[in-house]
Amino acid sequence: MRTWPVIAAMFLALGGLSAVAAYEMAPPRAGEWHEMAWPFPRDGWPAGRAFRCGAADCGGDVEVYVRPKLGFCNCTSGVADDDEVDRVADVDMISARFVPLKTGDSVDVADMPGRIRAYAVELPGGKRTAIGIALSHRCDLMVIAAQGSGDAAQVRQAALAFLGSREIKTWMTAAMGSR
Amino acid sequence: MVACQERVFVRGYRRASVAHSQRRLAGELGVVRMSGRVSAVCGTVVVVLLAHGASAQQPKIGDPPEASNMKLVGYSDLQARSAYQPTIHHQGNRWIAYIGHHGGTDDIPDPVNPMTGKPEPNGTSIVDVTDPAHPNYLRHIPGQEGKYESGGAQMVRVCDGDHLPKGDRNAVYMLRTFGSEAHEIWNVADPANPVLVARIGGLKDTHKSWWECDTGIAFLVSGAPGWRTRRMTQVYDLSDPAHPVKIRDFGLPGQEPGATGAVPTELHGPISTGAKGNRVYFGYGTDKGGFLQIVDRDKLLNGPKEPTPDNLKFPEIARMPLSAMNGAHTAFPMPGMRIAEFAHDKDGSTRDVVMIVDEAIQNECGEARQMVWFADVTTEARPMMISSFTVPEASGNFCERGGRFGSHSSNESMAPVYYKKLAFIAFFNAGVRALDVRDPYHPKEVGYFIPSITQATDKRCVTVDGKERCKVAIQTNNVETDDRGYIYAVDRANTGLHILELTGEARAIAGRQ
Repeated sequence: MRTWPVIAAMFLALGGLSAVAAYEMAPPRAGEWHEMAWPFPRDGWPAGRAFRCGAADCGGDVEVYVRPKLGFCNCTSGVADDDEVDRVADVDMISARFVPLKTGDSVDVADMPGRIRAYAVELPGGKRTAIGIALSHRCDLMVIAAQGSGDAAQVRQAALAFLGSREIKTWMTAAMGSR
Repeated sequence: MVACQERVFVRGYRRASVAHSQRRLAGELGVVRMSGRVSAVCGTVVVVLLAHGASAQQPKIGDPPEASNMKLVGYSDLQARSAYQPTIHHQGNRWIAYIGHHGGTDDIPDPVNPMTGKPEPNGTSIVDVTDPAHPNYLRHIPGQEGKYESGGAQMVRVCDGDHLPKGDRNAVYMLRTFGSEAHEIWNVADPANPVLVARIGGLKDTHKSWWECDTGIAFLVSGAPGWRTRRMTQVYDLSDPAHPVKIRDFGLPGQEPGATGAVPTELHGPISTGAKGNRVYFGYGTDKGGFLQIVDRDKLLNGPKEPTPDNLKFPEIARMPLSAMNGAHTAFPMPGMRIAEFAHDKDGSTRDVVMIVDEAIQNECGEARQMVWFADVTTEARPMMISSFTVPEASGNFCERGGRFGSHSSNESMAPVYYKKLAFIAFFNAGVRALDVRDPYHPKEVGYFIPSITQATDKRCVTVDGKERCKVAIQTNNVETDDRGYIYAVDRANTGLHILELTGEARAIAGRQ
């Protein structure tokens, strides 16, 4: 029995897994954004990553929560409409009471198409602005929720700028499988 | 959700597989750290042996089926079409199997129908199973163009015209979905030559509907325009199938048009106990965030119909959440079960039970285990989960075999031969499992049958380190029984229809010789 090729393949596979794990643990760009613990209770999907940017750096405090949802049904149509964003984008994790501010827009992040929508959310401390983003790749989703004290345009701009950073794009790509 | 495109789940493997692999990696490193070179060599040998052990579980064409207390009676390849719901109907002196199909595959979007010589989008297979040892394929009715979940005609129910209040007494009506866009009613009195009778279209989606043959009331799983969810309920009066009459739209508060805030989990399917039982059991979710909803049927049909939060709440008796990691594909009621263990108790010797079946959607165990749950709903306002069942993974190394492992659906026939005695669960690569449910507090497996793969069995893939790796395994998708006691298991991966019967202890439980 020729076992060395099998062993070599296994070590290569283990190395690959380590690389993926390293990607997943990689910190975002140091500076204005700081990673924090996933602030939400366990639900049907594994926890994602959460980041905070202070008012001094982002013009208003902003938090971004991002995680993959692997196994999504609309494989061919992708994120079909704003209702889909309402359903999947994790804005309900911030608050079950959210109201869209207007019709959403198409968006492309890390080469994944999707939709982005702004909401007003009610929190115990008062109203905040939230952004929901749902991106699709084949049959999987990457969802992002963001909240901040600024207006919708400000929170959206800060969230999209952060998601556009090389580190986060690399992480999202790895988390969705090497596409 | 349900069933999504199979390649989807390719990706679904990653996160779980990384965690799984990291645990495995930690275990392997632990071995290597033991004490130098000898330990390292020993560890390597163990790893290699484990790898070979896993590959030994890979099914191969030509392997015999795996079985216990169940045996194969007959087989149809169903033209190598991915199969979902089988419904077996006693029609005159014949027994006819109506089988709904998912859409085609990337490799073969429209399989050729050998009876016409033409490629046809997967739709509905009609098979004469009067002689179960020699099924006779009668007709394929094409479905909606589209692959996997995006096409086909997954669902099918059948009612006799002389049973429906206003049906043509000479007709036999088949209610089916047409992909995601419509429900259709066909007259299948001559099952080899079906005739379209009516169509309910303009939908965003469809799925696992229920039809009461004695009243004609149908609970159609639809995606109605304007609703915030892909799947909700449209209640129709189909007592005269040629003239469908809509009664109302129904869903959970928050799903209705114009609502804001969180959107509750979408519907998978309802089962009604009819006018006499006056309950409809709705299963929501697929593999996540599921729950059972118990609804007063009379209030649902005759209560206020405008889809306001209050009106949607009005017919609900109770809602029982599952873990966020499980969904509810099938909610199968078994009211009035006499529990032997409780026979001498002054109260509670008879229980109302609902069997809830989750649906696994990810390949190679890329999600939390989806399984079977039993809920005691005797005190309806306080339903309680009492037991569960899963196939032991180690009994067949099912996470390594390929494709999905976990439950999907149960038989839904309430014919006396098996009702409240035995339940049959489609368990994807673990085949069909026979459960003794006479004591639902302690369900027990009494038989199983895992069909052999064939040349037609389609591959199932996962992504490992950026590369697609595919395996071929049986994917028993749905199962149904007929009044004679035959069991019909169909395959999602195109392997076809297997007609089974019980043997040994399992057969004795059904009171059959």
